[in-house]
Amino acid sequence: MTTEATTAPSAHGADAHSDDLPNYLTHERGIRSWMTTLDHKRIGLMYLASIIAAFFMGGVMALLVRTELLFEGRTIMNADTYNQVFTLHGAIMVFLFIIPSIPGALGNFFLPIMLGAKDVAFPKLNLGSFYIYCFGAIFLVVGIAVGHVDTGWTFYTPYSARADNSVIWMTMGVFILGFSSILTGVNFIATVHTMRAPGMNWRRLPLFIWGIYATSVIQVLATPVLAITLLLLTMEKALGIAVFDPAIGGDPVLFQHFFWFYSHPAVYIMILPGMAVVNELIGTFSRRKIFGYMFVAMSSVALALLGFLVWGHHMFTSGMSEYSTMVFSALTFLVAIPSGVKVFNWVATLYQGSISLASPMLYALGFIALFTIGGVTGLFLGTLSVDIHLHDTYFVVAHFHYVMVGGTVFGFLGGLHYWWPKMTGKMYDENWARVAWLLVFTGFNVTFFSQFVLGSQGMPRRYYDYLPRFHNLHMTSSGGAYILGVGFLVMAVMFIKSLRSGEKASENPWGSAGYEWLTTTPPHPHNFHEQPVITRGPYDYHLCTELELFEGHHKDFVASEAE
Amino acid sequence: MNPQASEQLPPQMSTLAPQVDSLYYFIYYISVISFVLIVGTMVFYVIKYRRKPGVKAQPTGHNNVLEVAWTVAPVFLLVYLFHAGWQGYVFGAVAPSNPLEIHVTGKQWTWDFTHMPSGAQESNALTVPVNEPVRLTMSSADVLHSFFVPAFRVKRDVVPGMFTTLWFEATHTTDEAEPLTIFCAEYCGATAGISAEQSVALNTNHSSMLASLRVTTREAYDTHVAQLDGPPEACVAEADPMACWGERLATEMGCMGCHNTTGAAGGIAPTWRGLWGSNRSFTDGSTREADANYIISSMMEPQSQIVTGFTTANMPVYAPTENRKLAIVAFIRSLATEGQ
Ligand code: HEC
Ligand SMILES: [Cu+2]
Ligand SMILES: [Cu+2]
Repeated sequence: MTTEATTAPSAHGADAHSDDLPNYLTHERGIRSWMTTLDHKRIGLMYLASIIAAFFMGGVMALLVRTELLFEGRTIMNADTYNQVFTLHGAIMVFLFIIPSIPGALGNFFLPIMLGAKDVAFPKLNLGSFYIYCFGAIFLVVGIAVGHVDTGWTFYTPYSARADNSVIWMTMGVFILGFSSILTGVNFIATVHTMRAPGMNWRRLPLFIWGIYATSVIQVLATPVLAITLLLLTMEKALGIAVFDPAIGGDPVLFQHFFWFYSHPAVYIMILPGMAVVNELIGTFSRRKIFGYMFVAMSSVALALLGFLVWGHHMFTSGMSEYSTMVFSALTFLVAIPSGVKVFNWVATLYQGSISLASPMLYALGFIALFTIGGVTGLFLGTLSVDIHLHDTYFVVAHFHYVMVGGTVFGFLGGLHYWWPKMTGKMYDENWARVAWLLVFTGFNVTFFSQFVLGSQGMPRRYYDYLPRFHNLHMTSSGGAYILGVGFLVMAVMFIKSLRSGEKASENPWGSAGYEWLTTTPPHPHNFHEQPVITRGPYDYHLCTELELFEGHHKDFVASEAE
Repeated sequence: MNPQASEQLPPQMSTLAPQVDSLYYFIYYISVISFVLIVGTMVFYVIKYRRKPGVKAQPTGHNNVLEVAWTVAPVFLLVYLFHAGWQGYVFGAVAPSNPLEIHVTGKQWTWDFTHMPSGAQESNALTVPVNEPVRLTMSSADVLHSFFVPAFRVKRDVVPGMFTTLWFEATHTTDEAEPLTIFCAEYCGATAGISAEQSVALNTNHSSMLASLRVTTREAYDTHVAQLDGPPEACVAEADPMACWGERLATEMGCMGCHNTTGAAGGIAPTWRGLWGSNRSFTDGSTREADANYIISSMMEPQSQIVTGFTTANMPVYAPTENRKLAIVAFIRSLATEGQ
């Protein structure tokens, strides 16, 4: 893209005395300095800690659900508890983990660094978003747990409207979380527009930023609809104005329209950041610029926009008119195109690359494989007559877990492994990281592939109990969930060990051309010592110096290279 | 005989099923091929271009032709899928003319079925005739439910405050020991309306909202429906089960809103006490003995003979099943003797 020679503003020279340089972790100390920090990196880390806590809670719920389903009839809990547990699992995973995971944690940390900026455009707002997130999270969890909410994360009326008022608390929690999303979105959009380092034009914008940018746009546009829905629900409950409850003259299907008008775009809020991370991983570990950079960037924008037009595909059996059904099916198929474009470009990037199978890359390759399965199974669900059979069965459950977990979570984990050295200044044990990857990858497929078959055979979702003929597949699925659990446990131990006794990370342990690797490790409180000037693209490996590419590798990594 | 289930899908038991299945397997093979191509290429590249000392990555080129090709090529497939899916959907949405009508009510956590035109009812079990289109008109008494029969490949939400319809034509009868299952596919909870303790005790919840579905020959279906149309269980032990059933029907159908059984005169409709066997006189001056035929014709054509002193404007027309007519007759007959 650029033919100028590289004069990257790297801090290589600073290597020798990098110990004396201030870094964001140590330049201030004490709990107070964290609680009141305006540093996007610290805020990113605080998000990271919160979403990991949320992931842990949601994961425990998932294991409880799978344990209950090991055998027919009651295994460990009654139907009522089961319904609350899967509601908690869904709501926590969606609203507290997946949506904020990549933008909140990795985005906060790396978006300004990758732009060569000192911070986000509105640092105080950024801290505010974090506290709003915490507040909303407490609302949500307490609302569900104390309020005995058993509606599922979709809280469809009239079931949700008839239970006591706790649904209001829960939706209120989601609404507050939505606010946090909106503010973060606004902040990121402003940052991308105004804070780019000299020399960084839109064509040099890392694809991670493009993805987060598209996500922010959706967050800002879609989340208000959720607020309106909540307002209507509250008005109905408090003032008796008929909106959704047919008992007083409302329309329950209207609620589904509102809900999915937010929640389908929310699916893209969840998956686009995952794709964004994968771009960085594929680029770095194959040492190539992403093939079709502009096509990939624009496919994110296309997904963001198309995502607003397809909500009706969740309602093919709800009693919508035949014509709306037709239109929604057609629009839904359109979504397949930008998704396909991304996958094809990623694979094409590998061609003639110099590919390393370091753990972050394993997650990226896992992402491609799992997202492909998630994508092609979407074709079954977009095809009307086939969807009628599969709707509300385990097939759908499997499909969205392939997209959300195989996609977003793999993207998140890949990003976490990839940027861990930069964030913490420590390396982790690559071998254990690969073992964890293998367990997670295997466990995931065992858990959810069996669910595709369950769904095709007619097993409805959200069932506490099942017919004897579904037993074997349910057993298999639960077995997979335990493998998955062990995988995460291994990973947790591996990361904790790294924090305590990990080898010191160099500035650029993966030999990446990305801008975030140009600064010290862990980064300077102001990200860079001096204002960087960008003279090449983030994937211009042919313009990188030998030093940049091969300096300071992790020892396992060097060893595997020498073979 | 129940047909065999295929590898991935339940047995094909309706006219819709083969259509859905052929499309399903078409997408399945397309998916397998795409997956193998994409992931196969990926693995191949990963092996072929793995990092080797001294070998650098080639800079990425441009290839707009390739980009446009793989953007446009899937469009053909997608248009085909959309079209085929829409056709199957329309087939499933538009019932043939003159189907057998059955009304369905979903409520936490049972399915109630009413066979039309007889009005015969059954709960949590449904029998339908083979090789005949059947249309269900469905509504919910409380929250959302969804009527799902995997073997028929049909599913439709059951919504309170609105009627949804669904039709199917079964192609095979079921074995007596192996009825099909009707599932509720829309989450409908466990505790709404009842306490958590009750729910645990009853173990009723969304996942227990199942009904069995039998497909029989038309003759067996007719017999079944005729059997359904009899005195309810609570009446069977009575001395006169038909009269007992008739009394219930008279209340259910609203007769008692106008008529009474106390013998009191002066209401908006004649009393039924002592009606049986009495001599009736009508506004046109004719007279007649109140026998079974008279009572039945009064129900079905109230305006044909109007009892002196009343107007027919008030009495609606009723068309209950044969058995129900007889039950009401039996009830009115029982009022001739009782207490007199
Ligand atoms: C809206 C009020 C109303 C309802 C409801 C009603 N009826 Fe009547 N019925 C009348 C009136 C008024 C008459 C007298 C005029 C006539 O003969 O048509 C009558 C007459 C009759 C007679 C003849 C009585 C006689 O003294 O000769 C019979 C039998 C009868 N009804 C049966 C029924 C049955 C069975 C039902 C319920 C399935 C029913 N009615 C429901 C208003 C009603
Ligand atoms: Cu959607
Ligand atoms: Cu139900």
